[in-house]
Amino acid sequence: MRKYFTREHLGYMFGVLVRPIDSFYEIRYRDKGSVPLAVICVFVLSALFTINRIFAGFVVNDVNPRTIDGIEEMSAFFLILALFCIGNWAVTVLMEGEGRMRDIITVAGYAMLPIALILGPATILSRFISLEEAAFYHILIGIGIAWTAVLMLIGVMTVHNYTLLKTLITLVLTFITILLLVFIGLLVLDLLNQIYRFFYSIYTELVFRF
Amino acid sequence: MKAKRIAAIILLVIIVAAVASEAALATSVPYDTYTYDYWGFIVYTPAAYIPGESISGVSLGTGTFNDPQGIFAAPDGAVYIADTGNNRIVVLEPDLHTVRDVISTFDNNGTEDSFNRPRGVTVSPDGLIYIADTENRRVVALDGTTLVKTIRDPEAELLGENFDFVPLKVAVDFAGRVFVIARNMFQGIMTFNQDGEFVGFYGTINVNITLWQRFWRALSTQEQRARQQQFIPTEFTGLDVDPMGFIFASNIDMAGEQAVRRLNPNGEDVIRRGENEHLGGDLLMFPFSDSPYSGPSNIIDVAYRGKGMYSLLDSRRGRIFTYDREGNLLYVFGGMGQQAGTFRQPTAIAVQEGRILALDAIRNELIIFEQTLYGELINRAVSLRYDGDEALAVETWREVLILNENLELANAGIGKAYLTAGDNINAMRYLELGMDRHHYSIAFRRYRNDILKDNIGWMLTVMVAGIFGFVVLRALRRRRHKDVIDDGGGTMDA
Repeated sequence: MRKYFTREHLGYMFGVLVRPIDSFYEIRYRDKGSVPLAVICVFVLSALFTINRIFAGFVVNDVNPRTIDGIEEMSAFFLILALFCIGNWAVTVLMEGEGRMRDIITVAGYAMLPIALILGPATILSRFISLEEAAFYHILIGIGIAWTAVLMLIGVMTVHNYTLLKTLITLVLTFITILLLVFIGLLVLDLLNQIYRFFYSIYTELVFRF
Repeated sequence: MKAKRIAAIILLVIIVAAVASEAALATSVPYDTYTYDYWGFIVYTPAAYIPGESISGVSLGTGTFNDPQGIFAAPDGAVYIADTGNNRIVVLEPDLHTVRDVISTFDNNGTEDSFNRPRGVTVSPDGLIYIADTENRRVVALDGTTLVKTIRDPEAELLGENFDFVPLKVAVDFAGRVFVIARNMFQGIMTFNQDGEFVGFYGTINVNITLWQRFWRALSTQEQRARQQQFIPTEFTGLDVDPMGFIFASNIDMAGEQAVRRLNPNGEDVIRRGENEHLGGDLLMFPFSDSPYSGPSNIIDVAYRGKGMYSLLDSRRGRIFTYDREGNLLYVFGGMGQQAGTFRQPTAIAVQEGRILALDAIRNELIIFEQTLYGELINRAVSLRYDGDEALAVETWREVLILNENLELANAGIGKAYLTAGDNINAMRYLELGMDRHHYSIAFRRYRNDILKDNIGWMLTVMVAGIFGFVVLRALRRRRHKDVIDDGGGTMDA
């Protein structure tokens, strides 16, 4: 267990923020990444997301409190990132990508770090601003999202040893793959449901007959 | 034994309470009263209006109404009903129980003339009765029972050769201009001058075709196009004139967004559309159902209530929507049904002091809705605000909050009053409940400045002291560190 949470791992996680290319290179080729840390990143982000929706100041908060469900939002985060990881892996395996599954997970998790780090202070800040200063809050959130997007791009590019163009192409293909995965997933669920109901109706038939 | 008796008493109390509450339910109103909150959710409220009597004409001694289509409440309180199927106009005294007049014939330059299915009636400020005599294809103006003027066969190049003038509704402003809604007249409301000459169209609604609709139209064949819905402007359905001479005109909006316009003398729409820019009746339209109950509200008449308020009548779900001048939805009530006080086919609406009158063409009744305390308080608060008497309005909003503490309008009104009075904490509390971000922000900034002003002294002191302490501490530590190095690996316990 210890080997996932060393000071070195943490150092590389935060190093991603300032030297993304070098750090992602080390993560891929010298095994400096940690999947559990990446999962914790996503966990923290999803928790902060819900906290932001509940506790952000009234001036910037346009969320109906009746629509907030922390568990649902957390599962949505994990589901989307899991779909991204699977989709990206499926595409890059066929396109000479050098990244392994654990590298992709690490990239996806670590890339969430900037927005996770910004969301907390931004939520606190939002409780001290008026409508005129709301722009600062929105800019802050915007910077976080842009930073995360850049990290994602650089991460995928580095761990697979791709050019920028090839990265963009694989990202588009990843998106299509995600749609396919969702479609097939729903199909399989529906079929399983029908099979279940088939056997269940046989069972009820037998029960009524004997 | 004693325990048994206590149990029996408790049981009795429960049964009596249950029966009593059942009885209370039975006497309650046959429809829901509600409004929409900031997020578009329905918020049920106490009843603003409850059904009073229904007047069928039998009790008046005039015989039952037949397919009544138009109603007008004159400034003196008299109520004019266009009893379309009986080809007559029934005039009621303000108490609605005595008949002032039944006009079925009138004197047309010496000969006796009559109506043919009149659908609209109004009284001009100079006391003439204007009647849209629909199937006779004319508008007549009567002084008592004497014909003063007739509007028929308007001629203009705009109208084309074989134009069929079928007036449905009529309104007159203080300048004597006559506004007529005619059947299949999509260009707008027809206006006539005092002499009955056609002047032009008024308040034309432009058609908006979305890019998506245009795209599909471009793709479809000639035959398909013929079978598609046509892109024609919506028709106006009802008219009312406010004392400033502005025309309130309702229309059917298939998008359900704006079903009423307030038209200035140039025919431009100057209505205020409120926070959520919605003046179309219901927000929830159940669009995936085939039932006649689904779809956008079908607004067929409008009545000006005074003090900037107006009410709309929806014939699809039989509801009456009331808005204030700013376009805030105040309350919605009414419904379809067989019970007394519900509609089967509502056709027109008018307002008397303290009550709302609506006609039903299948029940053949005039249904009276009496104002409740809740409705009265809201009306009064809105009126006071319209007059600019904020202090009194706040008192009234407080009384409204006792009856319905979820009303955002009341909370926002009280919050604004606190803001003006300088009580920022209470202002913030009420403005947040009233979902008024703009004023909340102002109150919040003042509150924040106050706190900063009160505390800036010690905050700056602490900050300066902190920085000073930090600098000193660092200098000390550096010197000590230097000492250790100078010792060259000597004793480390220093």
